[in-house]
Amino acid sequence: MPFYLARCALQLLVALVGIVTVAFFLMRAIPGDPALYMLGDFATAEALANLRARLGLDQPVWRQYLIFLVRAAGGDLGMSVATGQPALAEIWSAVPPSAALAAAGMAVAVLVGVPLGIVAAVRQGSAVDVFVMLVALGGISFPVFWLGLVAILVFSHALGLFPVLGATSQPGFWKAAHHLALPALVLGFSVAAYIARLTRSAMLEVLGQDHIRVARAMGVPERRIVWRLALRNALITVLAVIGVTFAWSLGNAILVETVFSRPGLGSTILKAVLARDYQLVQAGVLVLAAAVVLLNTALDLLYGAIDPRLART
Amino acid sequence: MSVAFELRGLTAAVPGEKGAVRLVEEVSLEVRAGETLAVVGESGSGKTVTFVSALGLLPKPGRVIAGEALLDGVDLLSLEPEALRRMRGARIGMVFQDPLTGLNPVFRVGDQIGEVLRAHRSIGRREMRERAVELLARVQIPDPSRRVDDYPHQFSGGMRQRVLIAMAIALGPRVLIADEPTTALDVTVQAQVLDLLGELRDAEGMAMVLITHDLGVVARQADRVAVMYAGRVVETGTVEEVFRAPRHPYTISLFRSIPDIEAPAGTQLAAIAGSPPDPARRPAGCAFAPRCFAATEQAGCRVERPVLRGERHLAACHRLGEPGVAA
Amino acid sequence: MSAADADTELLEDTAARRRATLRRYARHPAFVSGAIGVVLLVLVAVFAPWLAPHPPTRTDLMNTLSPPSATYWLGTDAFGRCVLSRLIWGTRISLQVGLYVVLISLTAGTLLGAVAGYVGGWLERVLVAVIDILLAFPSFLLALALVAARGNTLDSIVLAVAIAYTPRIAAVMRSVVLTIRPRPFIEASRAIGLSSWTILVRHVIPNALPPVIVVATVSAATAILAEAGLSFLGLGVQPPTPTWGNVISEGQTAITTRPLISLSAGLCIAFTVVVLNLLGDGLRDTLDPQMRRNTGKLL
Repeated sequence: MPFYLARCALQLLVALVGIVTVAFFLMRAIPGDPALYMLGDFATAEALANLRARLGLDQPVWRQYLIFLVRAAGGDLGMSVATGQPALAEIWSAVPPSAALAAAGMAVAVLVGVPLGIVAAVRQGSAVDVFVMLVALGGISFPVFWLGLVAILVFSHALGLFPVLGATSQPGFWKAAHHLALPALVLGFSVAAYIARLTRSAMLEVLGQDHIRVARAMGVPERRIVWRLALRNALITVLAVIGVTFAWSLGNAILVETVFSRPGLGSTILKAVLARDYQLVQAGVLVLAAAVVLLNTALDLLYGAIDPRLART
Repeated sequence: MSVAFELRGLTAAVPGEKGAVRLVEEVSLEVRAGETLAVVGESGSGKTVTFVSALGLLPKPGRVIAGEALLDGVDLLSLEPEALRRMRGARIGMVFQDPLTGLNPVFRVGDQIGEVLRAHRSIGRREMRERAVELLARVQIPDPSRRVDDYPHQFSGGMRQRVLIAMAIALGPRVLIADEPTTALDVTVQAQVLDLLGELRDAEGMAMVLITHDLGVVARQADRVAVMYAGRVVETGTVEEVFRAPRHPYTISLFRSIPDIEAPAGTQLAAIAGSPPDPARRPAGCAFAPRCFAATEQAGCRVERPVLRGERHLAACHRLGEPGVAA
Repeated sequence: MSAADADTELLEDTAARRRATLRRYARHPAFVSGAIGVVLLVLVAVFAPWLAPHPPTRTDLMNTLSPPSATYWLGTDAFGRCVLSRLIWGTRISLQVGLYVVLISLTAGTLLGAVAGYVGGWLERVLVAVIDILLAFPSFLLALALVAARGNTLDSIVLAVAIAYTPRIAAVMRSVVLTIRPRPFIEASRAIGLSSWTILVRHVIPNALPPVIVVATVSAATAILAEAGLSFLGLGVQPPTPTWGNVISEGQTAITTRPLISLSAGLCIAFTVVVLNLLGDGLRDTLDPQMRRNTGKLL
């Protein structure tokens, strides 16, 4: 057992270094001069040279990479040009509200999407199925920020149920939750649409399999067949994709944060991008990459635990 | 002995491009307690569809459009869905063809047997486990108290088939339908499973239906046999009667096509030319006529469908009993 | 039968098969509606200058934020520009992004994925590791970061989105190639001495294309959504050039009084996405019979 954990930790480390490396080189793969980008077209040659030296851009790429790795391991991801603060600290403080939104959104997505997918599969071809699938189609076809605007229009403006702003500076858990609700619902809905479609096709595939036919021939009640015997098989398929789905939802989360003016990684990275704060953008990308890798590793562990066919004997 | 399970004129169809396609037509069969009826035919002859529809398991959009399926006198097809569900597994069991896909891969074997038990009885966890171990022992799975916690992928094909049999007999049904139970198994394992089925039948006094395309299995295991072709029963009788003196040209051709180990080397293998008709495009008249060595114009083979005739050994042929139409 | 008769039969046979294929496509409602929708969009984009009632960047400061009227069918935005014209012209940007992104990511992804599925050895392992890593990362954020590094001309946006979404296509291509590689005809090609490169290009890739083409149509939809997202955040093609994302963003401030601006732009995006998805579904169901399982699609 300890050996297995050590192996997992090593794999995690390798994956982290891997994704950080890929991100690093990818950022440099796009042609263009970050110094020029940061200072603008009218910068003097001297200013450009100074900045390049400060950013270490005048070194050969391999040296840049090694310096970067060493510094990153120590937690130094450079300085934000706009605020002069360490980039990592800036990013880190923006994580909690984003994490709350992402988690709430994912919870909504799973709690709504999975049952809807099941119902649609069980009543395949019926009006319920068509309705659910159409709604799901809308959920993945309309941009999530558009859905957010519509939600604001309907639930905040017309019905007055939720505040427009996605966050508040007033203290109190329930107040914060109230402000989080609508953004989380919007994010959740867009991801739920995807999960519903996925669950539906997974369920349909399982329901057509032999062992389900056998269960029916044995007289097992249909309800139990669907919600226990078939669902567990389908969930394994869905779970395999949840990691990727969550990563994809982070992209949507940034858009939702913008629509609802909610603080978090989204607005931080966006401001950094618009201010051409290169180091901060890079730091943001790296933190996100690391988060995704961690999550995927956790999911892999979970997946190995629940699918008996993958268990190590 | 009483008739445990009887089909009367069962007809099932699915919608097709040009109207309803009859998968099986006017199938009438009967099995008694303690007896094995073998149902023989090529793939596509309707053997499985017959019994799947009798249990109300024909997937939509197919449906039974005529006939009755009588279990101890009660017509299964006239029952409400919930009542029919209660019959399935408890009073009439079915074992399907492919053991590799018949078990749920993510549940333990003991739990799956337990599902069948709790579907029909209220039963506690401990009792369920005990009963599962008992059943595994009954189907001769070694070390059952440990194996009951294993997953299907930890069993071989033959053992998985035994588990499926255990599930089918768990509640002591009156009738057991085994659909090609050995087709997917190694030859060495086939005999074991067949013997197991025979032994269970004798011990529990069940009526057994054995669906197969293997005449050797029929000779070894069955008391009576029904031969199906193109969705209909074309011959039926005791195994002895039918094997000794088959009456329907199809059955006769089947027996002729069995290779004779004592024939001189170089003898050509006899086969029945052609292939069975597509259910949507069955010829008018006798479905076997295009491939039949005895078909004639005057007997009306291409015009009128023959019905089962005879005393106890029945066959559906216009030219029944005529000279030249015999083994 | 004479040789001439045999020839005629062969010709009729081929013609009949072609007719049967066409009929199969025509009978599939998803494919037909998807194809019609795409054609419609292309026509709108190509004929935008003639279809749009007003120049999309012309401001009418006397009529800002006006409701739909006879002159301005969808009303005007905060600068008095005709919303309908902006939407029509916006089709151009969206379709261009969709097209170029698909072309680039399809080419790059196909090559990458095919090589990753075929060569074996350390190269395959490295490629697979890179693809997996890129797949794990949220593509939209990757595109965002890439745009941040380069700037927001149409070219760099296309490049950024293409790079972000290439891994998906590469992964699909690789898994298909993995099923093709063990097939006997590939082994036969190797036996007669064809080089790996020839085998890859002339035998493996053509057989692997059908599922990849399906993914390509969906990728186009995703690319269009990504571009809209970038525009909305202010990182896309800059105003006053009209893109659907820009229009939604510009309509945000007036959302309570003139919701139609943002709403109509969103509908355009959704229509495009739906139509592309339908086309993809239809292609998948008709192109490869092996892919026609019960996926439960309604249409």
